[in-house]
Amino acid sequence: MLSFLSPLFLAGAAAAAVPIVLHLLKREPETRVQFAAVKLLKKAPVEHTRRRHLRELILLALRVTALVLLALAFARPFFATGAAIGSTGVTIVALDTSYSMSAPGRFERAQQLARDAIDRAPANNLVGVVTFTDSAETTAKPDGDRVLARAAVDRAAPGFGATRYRGALSAASQNLDGRHGTIVVVTDLQESGWDAGDRVKVPANTAIEVADVGALPPNLAVTAARPLPDRIVATVHNAGPRPRDARVHLQIDGRPAGEAIVSLGANQSADATIAGAPRGTRAVVTIDDPDGIAADNARYVVLGGGSRPSVLVVTGSGDLSREAFYVQHALAAGAAGDAAFQVVGVSGAQLGSWTDDSVAANAAVLLLSTRGLERRGRELLAAYAQSGGGLLIAAGSEIDGDIVADVLGTGAALKVVAPTGSRPGVHTLAPADARHPVFQPFAGTTATLGLVKFQNASRIGGSGCQTLARFTTGDPALIECPAGEGRALVIASDLDNKWSDFPVHATFVPFVHEAVRYVASARAHASDYLVGDAPAGVKRVPGFATVPEGRASNPLRAGSAMRLIAVNVDPREADPARLTIEEFTSAVAPLKEAGSSEARVEVRQQEDRQHLWQYAMAVMALLLVAEGLLAARTA
Amino acid sequence: MPWAAHDRPFLDPAVVARLGTLELKARTIVEGFLSGLHRSPFKGFSVEFAEYRQYIPGDDLSTIDWKVFARSDRYYIKKFEEETNLDCHLLLDVSGSMGYGAHHGITKFEYGAVLAASLGYLMNRQRDAVGLTAFDEDIVSMLPASARPGHLTALLVTLDRLRTGRQTNVSKPLHQMANTLTKRGIVVLISDLLDDPDEVIRGLKHFQFRGIDVIVFHVLDHDEIEFPFERATRFEDLETTEEIMAVPGAVRDHYLREIGGLIEKYRRELGANGIDYQLLDTNRPLELALMSYLSTRSRSY
Repeated sequence: MLSFLSPLFLAGAAAAAVPIVLHLLKREPETRVQFAAVKLLKKAPVEHTRRRHLRELILLALRVTALVLLALAFARPFFATGAAIGSTGVTIVALDTSYSMSAPGRFERAQQLARDAIDRAPANNLVGVVTFTDSAETTAKPDGDRVLARAAVDRAAPGFGATRYRGALSAASQNLDGRHGTIVVVTDLQESGWDAGDRVKVPANTAIEVADVGALPPNLAVTAARPLPDRIVATVHNAGPRPRDARVHLQIDGRPAGEAIVSLGANQSADATIAGAPRGTRAVVTIDDPDGIAADNARYVVLGGGSRPSVLVVTGSGDLSREAFYVQHALAAGAAGDAAFQVVGVSGAQLGSWTDDSVAANAAVLLLSTRGLERRGRELLAAYAQSGGGLLIAAGSEIDGDIVADVLGTGAALKVVAPTGSRPGVHTLAPADARHPVFQPFAGTTATLGLVKFQNASRIGGSGCQTLARFTTGDPALIECPAGEGRALVIASDLDNKWSDFPVHATFVPFVHEAVRYVASARAHASDYLVGDAPAGVKRVPGFATVPEGRASNPLRAGSAMRLIAVNVDPREADPARLTIEEFTSAVAPLKEAGSSEARVEVRQQEDRQHLWQYAMAVMALLLVAEGLLAARTA
Repeated sequence: MPWAAHDRPFLDPAVVARLGTLELKARTIVEGFLSGLHRSPFKGFSVEFAEYRQYIPGDDLSTIDWKVFARSDRYYIKKFEEETNLDCHLLLDVSGSMGYGAHHGITKFEYGAVLAASLGYLMNRQRDAVGLTAFDEDIVSMLPASARPGHLTALLVTLDRLRTGRQTNVSKPLHQMANTLTKRGIVVLISDLLDDPDEVIRGLKHFQFRGIDVIVFHVLDHDEIEFPFERATRFEDLETTEEIMAVPGAVRDHYLREIGGLIEKYRRELGANGIDYQLLDTNRPLELALMSYLSTRSRSY
């Protein structure tokens, strides 16, 4: 189908009327002359009159065609396919396959609603099917053959992911390809499907319909399981209108390890404690709930200290008790005496003798000193950061800005300038963005950070760095810089109670924990994953799996040390809170540009590939040459 | 050249055509023309005395002026006894083709009629007998030559009544005229000569055979000489109503070759036979035709 990138230029084709009008205006009534010497004309080639008329008509046609081609060329024609065709409507059925749909009879109802939506689609519409949980998948591309769509619905089955409407609507919008159409969302309208503040933009010419599968049935769910040194605590949620008792079973490494019964009020949660120090590595907490959702009846936990992420602390001598006393204890602090992190100390000089794997085994690196950090050590840290590792850098007196810049590479263009000594007095800091994950523990209480007094501070900054907190002087206090696939947080002071009293404040431990967790989050070191967040290569089903240490996607790491992880369903999916259809659709913003811009990009790409305007210009040039030759003969 | 014109410009034929009567037109042209001559070219043609000439044997004795002989004892003769010097016959083509040129203000026929009237006026003023014959494919009107004072009026009235009409056949009237003329004189043919040139020339040579001088005024419209048409035109023959659709740009070269060849043929062959030929563009002043006539007249007599 021929379409145009700039159809307004087609109005220029009206210029083709100019030669026609001129031709008609010039076409005067036939001139008749009573002439005396007609006999002298008899032998002349008077027959050329008709041929001349023919030539004039051909000339007119050439000129008109040339002008039309010129207008066509400016309108940038192309043969549209896919997104470029906007005339056919599309109906996309987005089928919720989250595990909340797995309750008995529930998904069958969803499939029937989806089939109904397919059957209701206008006859000339293409129909496609998208299934969605945490992520969306197009199981039937828009097609006129509805058997394909019905087959896709028949093939669909509920999975173990959680509901996420954003991805579903985005995928459906992409399948619209700029065409007008309808997205029919077949779902149970769980409130947890929208993240806070979520708004999805769909093309303005898209209608959103919701086929409600209905509220969750009464359901029991194990929403958490925490191994403690002497027991395992499981949290069970009763998503039902009446109180229930739940029998909780514990298995460790496949063997029963205890059970407990917990009474639950309507729509309430309660902890079930199974006494006894857990011995083994794989613990599974299950409950009996045959009428509810099956997927949330079990929780998988990896036991053992191996699951604690390791943090490498680089100091001048490697003596953490002397050079990183506060940091060491802050990292070691954990709930109920269980250390949150394993802390490993190393000197800058010793680091040069480490290997890539030994550095990569750490979830994060705290760089407190660059003293003795030679070339090999810098390269190790740089490689660590490039491969997704996280660094927390305390720009105190032991930090050389050039070395730090060398470690982080050119992406951040980090500059750390040591204080000159002339800098005035005491500063405090304030978060520039309180919503940043580093400041999440201080939500609503960020003012407590202002109690920390900084007597001295380096000047930090970088072209690619984001300022997370500033001193009262306006200078950056905490910045985040990209470093390859990893990230680095740089605080403009030490963490050792020399330049500031931060370590003696209650905010120090949570800050250090969150900062380390944040920089480490770019690197997979956790042992507990949700189905939707499971590392690449791990099946999206609850259970246990082993993954390589470090980034599984890094081929250099493939085949290195493996670690055990537990994959669980997202407990939010068991939340029975529901949206109304109006609340659901209110989160969908029709945005004219959202779909059309993508369609325009596709249209432009198609036009760029075809270059029809060049052919039009070439033909026009040929026509003008022919017109010139013919006109010369006619003149 | 025996005479020359003043700097006064000649009369535009279109202006002349707008004058009231043929007499007025003829008088305006001839008087204006004659007033521009430095000296009279009519010596010897007047019925009044012109000059004496010594008698030579063979002269008619009756022409001897005895009074002069009585005074001078020598024989002189003069020829004042003759009433007219010569007969001049104006042959005017009134065929349909002569009607072309109205859009220029004067047709070939009107141009020829004014020329004939002017020549008649001039001849009558010179006491030459002048006659008029109008023809198309036949002789349609004929006024015998006469030098009587009232004859000019008759000639002008005859001219005024003429209208263009039928097809051209120049040679036939020429032969008819040549057969009827018995006295030496001058025949002035005024025509567009759009006929078979060989036939026309044969007819004119017939006059010469009879001892009659011939002057041919080939009257053509400017359009016929230059063919200035631009747009595609349907050309309709004035005599036959035959039509030809033609693009002037395409046929111009051919036409100009044809008309040029026709003119050249007349000029060459008539000149070779001692016949004065003068091509007249109806855009050109009539005085030029008078000059041509007088030039021929002076050479002959």
